[in-house]
Amino acid sequence: MKMNNMNRRNFLKLAGATGATAVLGGFAGKAGAAGAKARVIVVGGGFGGATCAKYLRRGDASLDVTLIEPSSKFVTCPFSNYVLGGFRTMDSITHSYTALSGKHGVKVVHDTVTAIDPAGKKVTLKSGKSLQYDRLVVAPGIDFKWGAIQGYSEAAAEIMPHAWKAGPQTALLRKQLEAMPDGGVFVMVAPPNPFRCPPGPYERASMVAHYFSKHKPKSKVLILDAKDAFSKQGLFQAGWDKLYPGKIEWVAGAKGGKVVGVDTKKMIVDGELDKHKGAVVNVIPAQTAGSIAIKTGLANETGWCPVDPNTFESKLHPGIHVIGDAAIAGELPKSGFAANSEAKMCAAAIVATLRGEQAVFGSFVNTCYSLLTPEYGISVAAVYRITDQGIKTVPGSGGVSPKDANDEFRRDEAKYARGWYDSITAEIWG
Amino acid sequence: MVNSKMRYAILAGAVALAAALPVKAEEIISQRAIANLTNNCYACHGPAGKSPGTIPSISKLSAKRIISDMVDFKSGDQKSTVMGRMAKAYSLTEIEAMAHFIAASNAPAAAK
Repeated sequence: MKMNNMNRRNFLKLAGATGATAVLGGFAGKAGAAGAKARVIVVGGGFGGATCAKYLRRGDASLDVTLIEPSSKFVTCPFSNYVLGGFRTMDSITHSYTALSGKHGVKVVHDTVTAIDPAGKKVTLKSGKSLQYDRLVVAPGIDFKWGAIQGYSEAAAEIMPHAWKAGPQTALLRKQLEAMPDGGVFVMVAPPNPFRCPPGPYERASMVAHYFSKHKPKSKVLILDAKDAFSKQGLFQAGWDKLYPGKIEWVAGAKGGKVVGVDTKKMIVDGELDKHKGAVVNVIPAQTAGSIAIKTGLANETGWCPVDPNTFESKLHPGIHVIGDAAIAGELPKSGFAANSEAKMCAAAIVATLRGEQAVFGSFVNTCYSLLTPEYGISVAAVYRITDQGIKTVPGSGGVSPKDANDEFRRDEAKYARGWYDSITAEIWG
Repeated sequence: MVNSKMRYAILAGAVALAAALPVKAEEIISQRAIANLTNNCYACHGPAGKSPGTIPSISKLSAKRIISDMVDFKSGDQKSTVMGRMAKAYSLTEIEAMAHFIAASNAPAAAK
């Protein structure tokens, strides 16, 4: 009974705390459950990893949380298409880790994980150091299947950028767009499923067409796609007809869109049916989970990482969680928003597990905004739950923007796209 | 299903009436489930519901206001771009629990 009162008092004090997982912190400590500080290492400081590190500390301030990320600053893929469109700067999509380390008590280490030892619970860093963990979160994003397209290698990406990891590649592609002559063709090679950011290539095509409409009115966009359908296709194509008539051509995989090779010297893309010459060529290759996940044996034959949908704990290496683009997450897309949602659930599950409690499920949420112009936005949104068939959209909810929406609605969605970016980046790196 | 809804309902009350109620372990665990539902809101509405940009903040809204807005978004009585699509995924008891959670998180006493 006495214990009950203690519980109640802590509950009262903490019921209003943002992370209600903190509610349990009070009496778990009182009950003597906490021994030495539990160590959690998070590999990767993107949308998934940085969120997870923050929410681990928020869920239990006694945790020793280390975030390992090679870059001192993070450039987001979301909104990098607007740098290509010419109305957003690289600076405005770049975020630092100072709040995570200074305000939230995360130890941020700028280094690269070269090896993970699941049996020894140890990660080895490029600097030669190694670190022990009690729980590991792997959030490595994606890597590319170099060589899936003949002639497309890491070196080729310096001539035909992928720009599918934001940063120098984004700046390079922007520079090429600025330098190309009016009348030249922008050729995009769009990847097969599954890949990071399903609407991303088509938003990018829109942004390049937007830039052309202002500066290179004779230029066109040609999308050579490995697929026969794509995300928000109806909304994109209706928007292109209205905003950029005759300027964006999409070739489906079955109609010659599949690309077999590239020639970086001649700036030629070899389709199954035709050769296409581009003034600028953007090759977005087929993808896999980030290489450290593959090297550690966290990925299966698909190249992606199977996980328990409740906790995102690996099905192949218990004690290691995989979140974000690298994970196989049912109907959740490979998006920054989804990674953020997964990371929160994963952090709550780790906090519970370290206390010997059962993980409790909530839900996942995703919204992907895409811009067709700076003032014309569309979206796809959904809430997800765990079912017997894995992570599924809640029936009767979610979906894409209405196809008959008026200009005001499209303007509002563009406005909220900007608001979403401000909010989620504050939520993660703020 | 009924069971979990009931637990949410108990919790929505518990936040407001905790002073008068003994809190059992089961209810505290459910409070964690509500946190796991609610933390998703902040991806668009900003940290703890304080939006730095164009999306409306929800941090200063009363639970009552959040509930009535969500019910109207869900039914379509209140027009929205995305919120209506999302609101349809939640039961009324979940909406109530999340609304109380957000309001309690931002209550002056919780600032400490």
